[in-house]
Amino acid sequence: MIKNVTLGQYFPGDSFVHKLDPRTKLLATIALIAVVFVSNGFAGFVMIAAFVLLTALSTGVHLKFLFKGLKPIMFIIIFTFILNVFFQQTGEVLVQFWVIKITTGGLRMATFMAARLILLVVASQLLTLTTSPISLTDGLESLMRPASKLGFPAHEIAMMMSIALRFIPTLMDEADKIMKAQKARGANFETGNLIQRAKAMIPLLVPLFVGAFRRADELALAMDARCYRGGAGRTRMNQLKYGTRDLIAAVAIVALFVLVILANRFCPF
Amino acid sequence: MPIEIKHLTHTYMPGSPFEARALNDICLTINDGEFIGIIGHTGSGKSTLISYFNGLERGASGAVLVNGVDLSDKNADLIAVRRTVGLVFQYPEYQLFEETVEKDIAFGPTNLGLTPEEVERRVVHAMHLVGLDPSRAKKSPFDLSGGQKRRVAIAGVLAMEPSILVLDEPAAGLDPAGRHEMLELISDIHESGVTIVMVSHSMDDVGRYCDRLFVLSHGEIAYQGTPAEVFVHGEELNKIGLDVPECAKLAARLRKAGFDIPQDAYRMEDVAGYIVKNIGKGRSDR
Repeated sequence: MIKNVTLGQYFPGDSFVHKLDPRTKLLATIALIAVVFVSNGFAGFVMIAAFVLLTALSTGVHLKFLFKGLKPIMFIIIFTFILNVFFQQTGEVLVQFWVIKITTGGLRMATFMAARLILLVVASQLLTLTTSPISLTDGLESLMRPASKLGFPAHEIAMMMSIALRFIPTLMDEADKIMKAQKARGANFETGNLIQRAKAMIPLLVPLFVGAFRRADELALAMDARCYRGGAGRTRMNQLKYGTRDLIAAVAIVALFVLVILANRFCPF
Repeated sequence: MPIEIKHLTHTYMPGSPFEARALNDICLTINDGEFIGIIGHTGSGKSTLISYFNGLERGASGAVLVNGVDLSDKNADLIAVRRTVGLVFQYPEYQLFEETVEKDIAFGPTNLGLTPEEVERRVVHAMHLVGLDPSRAKKSPFDLSGGQKRRVAIAGVLAMEPSILVLDEPAAGLDPAGRHEMLELISDIHESGVTIVMVSHSMDDVGRYCDRLFVLSHGEIAYQGTPAEVFVHGEELNKIGLDVPECAKLAARLRKAGFDIPQDAYRMEDVAGYIVKNIGKGRSDR
């Protein structure tokens, strides 16, 4: 059951988007999020959705995975939608009975907010699906580097992130193994009240933590043995370099921005 | 028939791009009192297969029957099955969690809902079975050595008094002396009347102790039979990344060179005996 959680859901591929510099992808994602907020009408949303969908199609990632990220926030989307339908009371009245009044303005606002949330998630999903966790942290480190002059520990944060990402699957695997072992000894993780269930987690959590500390110790020793001494003066095997691709991507994003702003002005739907 | 598996197929992460078939149409039977060896290369499906033995994995196509109870049946009493089939995973010492050795061993029997007196009796008995000194009962399991920890973990499963004990690579990571002790210990448990299923990739170990072997390769049973029957396929085993015991290899080479050594000789004592017989006789083809 634990295996079904996909963290670091990178989908390997060889497309234009896959080959973009991770920094470009990070900045483009931030720009996409910004443009979603800039847009104040459905015309803009249609453009953004078309852009995201076309990009997704070009990557060869199955669209199913693109929308999988919506599942955990489905509740929030529905909640927002309902809240807006009932509390936005502008425009013509469509349905009215007892205290409930549904208006065109309310429906428009509700759809607008839901569309905005869906676009936000799908756009950021595109980043994690096409960028391996390692290049993502590389990109982050590189983008944060200017801040390290001000004492911000950019390298350390990036290193911690890569180590954490690297060990999530390992720890999941280990949790799965320990769970199986304790189940084989008659442990019951599924039934019982809250307190019983919390207690049942002890045989899982204690070995998991012991294992995590053991691994951390071993990793620290292994890094020490290879003369790791932090980020200062450290060279990289894979240098990040902007290329023509990144320029094309930047132009595309800027074009989208301009189109959405124009849509805001001339197509207020 | 304690364990009977019919046409078992297991697919790992179905429907995702990482879909893989871990087990494919496995059929096998394990009888009471046997010492069974399951051998296979890493990723051959050994560990997945044994998870089916006590219902930790369920719901794939095919049937797993333990003492006649079908485990794929939703109403099957899993606690009863786990009482019958004890499963010791690879590196079982990593599952220890209690403050004392005694409490850790008591975890399984307590989950079975036994009385404190019965649990106490079983803990003492299990510690005795795995050769743990009673003075260690009140110690923290985390203060013990690796080999001792593993004994505690095995005792934790034995305390449930299973009639079938399944062990996944019980000797992995132990030094030669510890390895030998561990295997002798399992052999003693077998002699006390427990059916043993041992997963291993060491042909020497399974050849020495097991009555019957199943060789897994890519989720299928490639060979099965007594060790002698399996070790005849030396070259084929090599192709699927496995090896035959050193003595079987020597016997095969001598046989090829024309010496009179029967096909079923693979134990060191037997092979040595045949070599002695051949001395002075010369090659049989001359």
